Amino acid sequence: MKDLQRLRTSLKEEVELALNAQVKMEAEASSKYLAMASWCEVNGYLYSAKYFFKQAEEEREHMLKIFHYLADQGVMAYAPEVGPVPHDYPSFRSIFEAALQSEINVTHSINRLVTLCRRVEDYATENFLQWFVKEQVEEEINARRALELFDVIGEEGTGRFQIDRHVYKITQLDIE
Amino acid sequence: MKDSFTLHELYRTAKGFTQQCDLTNRIILSFGEQVIAFRYLDFVSFRRKVDRVNLHDMIFNLDDAYDFEVIEAPKSNQQLVLTLCDLVQLRELLSGTQFALDLNTMLHEALYTYVA
Ligand SMILES: [Fe+2]
Ligand SMILES: [Fe+2]
Repeated sequence: MKDLQRLRTSLKEEVELALNAQVKMEAEASSKYLAMASWCEVNGYLYSAKYFFKQAEEEREHMLKIFHYLADQGVMAYAPEVGPVPHDYPSFRSIFEAALQSEINVTHSINRLVTLCRRVEDYATENFLQWFVKEQVEEEINARRALELFDVIGEEGTGRFQIDRHVYKITQLDIE
Repeated sequence: MKDSFTLHELYRTAKGFTQQCDLTNRIILSFGEQVIAFRYLDFVSFRRKVDRVNLHDMIFNLDDAYDFEVIEAPKSNQQLVLTLCDLVQLRELLSGTQFALDLNTMLHEALYTYVA
Protein backbone atom coordinates (compact mmCIF):
# COMPACT_ATOMS: atom_id res chain seq x y z
CA MET A 1 0.00 0.00 0.00
CA LYS A 2 1.41 3.32 -1.08
CA ASP A 3 1.96 6.16 1.35
CA LEU A 4 -0.04 8.75 -0.57
CA GLN A 5 0.45 11.36 2.09
CA ARG A 6 4.23 11.19 2.16
CA LEU A 7 4.41 10.96 -1.62
CA ARG A 8 2.63 14.28 -1.75
CA THR A 9 4.44 16.16 0.99
CA SER A 10 7.02 15.87 3.75
CA LEU A 11 5.16 18.39 5.89
CA LYS A 12 3.11 17.24 8.83
CA GLU A 13 -0.28 18.86 8.97
CA GLU A 14 0.46 20.77 12.16
CA VAL A 15 3.60 22.27 10.61
CA GLU A 16 1.70 23.15 7.49
CA LEU A 17 -1.00 24.93 9.48
CA ALA A 18 1.55 26.71 11.65
CA LEU A 19 3.43 27.93 8.57
CA ASN A 20 0.19 29.18 7.07
CA ALA A 21 -0.51 31.01 10.32
CA GLN A 22 2.94 32.60 10.01
CA VAL A 23 2.08 33.68 6.46
CA LYS A 24 -0.86 35.53 7.94
CA MET A 25 1.24 37.06 10.71
CA GLU A 26 3.77 38.44 8.20
CA ALA A 27 0.93 39.86 6.12
CA GLU A 28 -0.48 41.54 9.21
CA ALA A 29 2.95 42.92 10.08
CA SER A 30 3.18 44.34 6.57
CA SER A 31 -0.20 45.98 6.93
CA LYS A 32 0.68 47.42 10.34
CA TYR A 33 3.86 48.98 8.97
CA LEU A 34 1.91 50.42 6.07
CA ALA A 35 -0.45 52.13 8.52
CA MET A 36 2.55 53.45 10.48
CA ALA A 37 4.05 54.79 7.26
CA SER A 38 0.78 56.51 6.52
CA TRP A 39 0.65 58.12 9.96
CA CYS A 40 4.23 59.36 9.64
CA GLU A 41 3.63 60.71 6.19
CA VAL A 42 0.63 62.83 7.12
CA ASN A 43 2.29 64.05 10.28
CA GLY A 44 5.39 65.34 8.57
CA TYR A 45 7.86 62.59 9.41
CA LEU A 46 8.81 61.76 5.87
CA TYR A 47 11.96 59.78 6.57
CA SER A 48 10.21 57.58 9.07
CA ALA A 49 7.43 57.09 6.56
CA LYS A 50 10.02 55.87 4.10
CA TYR A 51 11.49 53.56 6.73
CA PHE A 52 8.10 52.02 7.45
CA PHE A 53 7.23 51.65 3.77
CA LYS A 54 10.40 49.68 3.39
CA GLN A 55 9.55 47.57 6.44
CA ALA A 56 6.09 46.90 5.00
CA GLU A 57 7.67 45.62 1.81
CA GLU A 58 10.09 43.43 3.71
CA GLU A 59 7.28 41.83 5.67
CA ARG A 60 5.54 41.03 2.43
CA GLU A 61 8.72 39.37 1.22
CA HIS A 62 8.83 37.32 4.41
CA MET A 63 5.27 36.24 3.73
CA LEU A 64 6.11 35.19 0.18
CA LYS A 65 9.16 33.28 1.31
CA ILE A 66 6.98 31.04 3.48
CA PHE A 67 4.31 30.97 0.80
CA HIS A 68 6.75 29.55 -1.73
CA TYR A 69 8.18 27.11 0.78
CA LEU A 70 4.72 25.65 1.36
CA ALA A 71 4.17 25.31 -2.37
CA ASP A 72 7.60 23.74 -2.82
CA GLN A 73 6.72 21.18 -0.17
CA GLY A 74 3.64 20.22 -2.14
CA VAL A 75 0.92 21.74 0.00
CA MET A 76 -1.47 24.62 -0.31
CA ALA A 77 -0.45 28.07 0.84
CA TYR A 78 -3.44 30.19 1.74
CA ALA A 79 -3.64 33.85 0.78
CA PRO A 80 -4.21 35.43 4.18
CA GLU A 81 -7.10 37.56 5.31
CA VAL A 82 -5.84 40.63 7.05
CA GLY A 83 -8.17 42.47 9.37
CA PRO A 84 -8.16 46.15 10.28
CA VAL A 85 -4.92 47.49 11.77
CA PRO A 86 -4.44 50.48 14.08
CA HIS A 87 -4.08 53.88 12.40
CA ASP A 88 -4.28 56.13 15.43
CA TYR A 89 -1.16 56.65 17.45
CA PRO A 90 -0.93 59.08 20.36
CA SER A 91 2.60 60.18 19.50
CA PHE A 92 5.57 59.81 17.17
CA ARG A 93 7.38 57.77 19.79
CA SER A 94 4.46 55.40 20.41
CA ILE A 95 4.71 54.18 16.83
CA PHE A 96 8.19 52.89 17.40
CA GLU A 97 7.13 51.27 20.64
CA ALA A 98 4.36 49.47 18.77
CA ALA A 99 6.82 48.45 16.05
CA LEU A 100 9.21 46.91 18.57
CA GLN A 101 6.40 45.07 20.32
CA SER A 102 5.19 43.71 17.00
CA GLU A 103 8.68 42.43 16.15
CA ILE A 104 8.98 40.78 19.55
CA ASN A 105 5.69 39.00 18.94
CA VAL A 106 6.94 37.74 15.59
CA THR A 107 10.15 36.50 17.20
CA HIS A 108 8.11 34.50 19.71
CA SER A 109 6.03 33.05 16.94
CA ILE A 110 9.10 31.99 14.93
CA ASN A 111 10.60 30.41 18.04
CA ARG A 112 7.45 28.41 18.67
CA LEU A 113 7.57 27.23 15.07
CA VAL A 114 11.14 26.01 15.49
CA THR A 115 10.15 24.20 18.67
CA LEU A 116 7.30 22.52 16.82
CA CYS A 117 9.64 21.43 14.02
CA ARG A 118 12.01 19.84 16.50
CA ARG A 119 9.17 18.09 18.27
CA VAL A 120 7.91 16.46 15.06
CA GLU A 121 11.43 15.98 13.69
CA ASP A 122 10.94 18.22 10.68
CA TYR A 123 14.56 19.27 10.29
CA ALA A 124 14.13 20.65 6.77
CA THR A 125 11.59 23.20 7.94
CA GLU A 126 13.65 23.98 10.98
CA ASN A 127 16.54 24.70 8.67
CA PHE A 128 14.32 26.89 6.50
CA LEU A 129 13.22 28.80 9.59
CA GLN A 130 16.75 29.59 10.69
CA TRP A 131 16.76 32.43 8.16
CA PHE A 132 13.83 33.93 10.06
CA VAL A 133 15.51 33.42 13.42
CA LYS A 134 18.43 35.49 12.17
CA GLU A 135 16.18 38.04 10.51
CA GLN A 136 14.30 38.63 13.76
CA VAL A 137 17.53 39.44 15.57
CA GLU A 138 18.14 42.11 12.94
CA GLU A 139 14.57 43.39 13.12
CA GLU A 140 14.64 43.75 16.87
CA ILE A 141 17.97 45.57 16.75
CA ASN A 142 16.57 48.09 14.30
CA ALA A 143 13.34 48.62 16.19
CA ARG A 144 15.23 49.09 19.43
CA ARG A 145 17.70 51.47 17.84
CA ALA A 146 14.85 53.64 16.55
CA LEU A 147 13.49 53.95 20.06
CA GLU A 148 16.95 54.67 21.38
CA LEU A 149 17.13 57.72 19.15
CA PHE A 150 14.39 59.30 21.22
CA ASP A 151 16.64 59.05 24.24
CA VAL A 152 19.95 60.04 22.73
CA ILE A 153 18.61 62.92 20.69
CA GLY A 154 15.70 63.93 22.89
CA GLU A 155 12.33 65.16 21.70
CA GLU A 156 12.71 68.80 22.76
CA GLY A 157 13.21 71.60 20.28
CA THR A 158 14.02 70.21 16.88
CA GLY A 159 14.51 66.77 18.42
CA ARG A 160 11.76 64.99 16.57
CA PHE A 161 12.94 66.52 13.32
CA GLN A 162 16.40 65.09 13.98
CA ILE A 163 15.08 61.73 15.08
CA ASP A 164 13.06 61.46 11.90
CA ARG A 165 16.13 62.09 9.76
CA HIS A 166 18.12 59.46 11.60
CA VAL A 167 15.47 56.77 11.57
CA TYR A 168 15.81 56.13 7.89
CA LYS A 169 19.56 55.72 8.23
CA ILE A 170 19.18 52.86 10.68
CA THR A 171 18.89 50.27 7.97
CA GLN A 172 21.65 51.82 5.88
CA LEU A 173 24.35 52.30 8.47
CA ASP A 174 26.41 49.42 9.57
CA ILE A 175 27.58 50.64 12.91
CA GLU A 176 30.73 48.84 13.81
CA MET B 1 -12.51 -5.31 -2.67
CA LYS B 2 -11.02 -8.61 -1.81
CA ASP B 3 -8.44 -10.03 -4.18
CA SER B 4 -7.59 -6.52 -5.18
CA PHE B 5 -3.99 -5.40 -5.01
CA THR B 6 -4.63 -1.79 -5.76
CA LEU B 7 -7.65 -0.95 -3.66
CA HIS B 8 -7.22 -0.73 0.11
CA GLU B 9 -9.90 0.06 2.57
CA LEU B 10 -8.95 2.94 4.84
CA TYR B 11 -11.92 3.36 7.15
CA ARG B 12 -15.52 2.30 7.47
CA THR B 13 -18.50 3.59 9.41
CA ALA B 14 -22.21 2.80 9.40
CA LYS B 15 -22.81 5.43 6.74
CA GLY B 16 -19.92 4.84 4.37
CA PHE B 17 -16.32 3.87 3.76
CA THR B 18 -13.12 5.10 2.17
CA GLN B 19 -10.54 3.31 0.07
CA GLN B 20 -7.17 4.12 -1.36
CA CYS B 21 -6.49 3.26 -4.98
CA ASP B 22 -2.78 2.67 -5.61
CA LEU B 23 -3.25 2.61 -9.36
CA THR B 24 -4.66 6.11 -9.63
CA ASN B 25 -3.33 7.51 -6.33
CA ARG B 26 -6.83 8.48 -5.33
CA ILE B 27 -8.74 8.33 -2.09
CA ILE B 28 -12.24 7.15 -2.82
CA LEU B 29 -15.07 8.17 -0.59
CA SER B 30 -18.34 6.25 -0.61
CA PHE B 31 -20.88 8.08 1.48
CA GLY B 32 -24.56 7.24 1.21
CA GLU B 33 -25.23 7.05 -2.52
CA GLN B 34 -22.26 9.13 -3.54
CA VAL B 35 -18.83 8.02 -4.66
CA ILE B 36 -16.12 10.63 -5.00
CA ALA B 37 -12.43 10.16 -5.85
CA PHE B 38 -9.97 12.65 -4.40
CA ARG B 39 -6.33 13.37 -4.93
CA TYR B 40 -4.58 13.65 -1.60
CA LEU B 41 -4.55 17.45 -1.38
CA ASP B 42 -8.16 17.65 -2.47
CA PHE B 43 -9.08 15.17 0.19
CA VAL B 44 -7.39 17.35 2.81
CA SER B 45 -9.11 20.52 1.69
CA PHE B 46 -12.44 18.69 1.54
CA ARG B 47 -11.94 17.36 5.06
CA ARG B 48 -11.15 20.85 6.30
CA LYS B 49 -14.23 22.24 4.59
CA VAL B 50 -16.41 19.66 6.31
CA ASP B 51 -14.75 20.39 9.65
CA ARG B 52 -15.32 24.12 9.27
CA VAL B 53 -19.12 23.89 9.04
CA ASN B 54 -20.63 25.47 12.11
CA LEU B 55 -22.84 22.74 13.57
CA HIS B 56 -23.96 25.02 16.35
CA ASP B 57 -25.52 27.40 13.83
CA MET B 58 -27.27 24.51 12.13
CA ILE B 59 -28.81 23.40 15.39
CA PHE B 60 -29.96 26.74 16.69
CA ASN B 61 -30.77 28.73 13.59
CA LEU B 62 -34.38 28.09 12.61
CA ASP B 63 -34.02 29.50 9.11
CA ASP B 64 -34.50 26.85 6.38
CA ALA B 65 -31.09 27.72 4.94
CA TYR B 66 -29.50 26.16 8.00
CA ASP B 67 -31.16 22.76 7.58
CA PHE B 68 -28.65 21.68 4.95
CA GLU B 69 -25.09 22.43 4.10
CA VAL B 70 -23.97 22.15 0.50
CA ILE B 71 -20.33 21.19 0.11
CA GLU B 72 -18.55 21.15 -3.18
CA ALA B 73 -16.14 18.29 -3.73
CA PRO B 74 -12.93 19.66 -5.31
CA LYS B 75 -12.46 19.07 -9.06
CA SER B 76 -15.21 16.48 -9.26
CA ASN B 77 -18.26 18.48 -10.23
CA GLN B 78 -20.08 16.86 -7.35
CA GLN B 79 -21.89 18.41 -4.47
CA LEU B 80 -22.89 16.90 -1.21
CA VAL B 81 -26.09 18.11 0.36
CA LEU B 82 -25.66 17.34 4.02
CA THR B 83 -27.95 17.44 6.99
CA LEU B 84 -26.64 17.94 10.48
CA CYS B 85 -26.65 14.19 11.00
CA ASP B 86 -24.81 13.58 7.71
CA LEU B 87 -22.17 16.08 8.69
CA VAL B 88 -21.46 14.40 11.98
CA GLN B 89 -21.18 11.05 10.26
CA LEU B 90 -19.07 12.39 7.42
CA ARG B 91 -16.68 14.00 9.89
CA GLU B 92 -16.25 10.71 11.66
CA LEU B 93 -15.51 8.95 8.39
CA LEU B 94 -13.06 11.60 7.19
CA SER B 95 -11.16 11.85 10.45
CA GLY B 96 -10.98 8.07 10.62
CA THR B 97 -9.61 8.08 7.09
CA GLN B 98 -7.03 10.68 8.02
CA PHE B 99 -6.05 8.52 10.95
CA ALA B 100 -5.56 5.55 8.61
CA LEU B 101 -3.41 7.69 6.29
CA ASP B 102 -1.30 8.90 9.22
CA LEU B 103 -0.91 5.38 10.49
CA ASN B 104 0.20 4.23 7.06
CA THR B 105 2.79 7.01 6.96
CA MET B 106 4.11 5.92 10.36
CA LEU B 107 4.26 2.32 9.26
CA HIS B 108 6.15 3.21 6.11
CA GLU B 109 8.63 5.21 8.12
CA ALA B 110 9.12 2.41 10.60
CA LEU B 111 9.14 -0.55 8.24
CA TYR B 112 10.64 0.63 5.01
CA THR B 113 13.60 2.54 6.26
CA TYR B 114 16.57 0.76 4.80
CA VAL B 115 19.71 0.73 6.78
CA ALA B 116 22.85 0.57 4.68
FE1 LIG C 1 8.80 39.42 9.20
FE1 LIG D 1 9.81 42.33 10.84
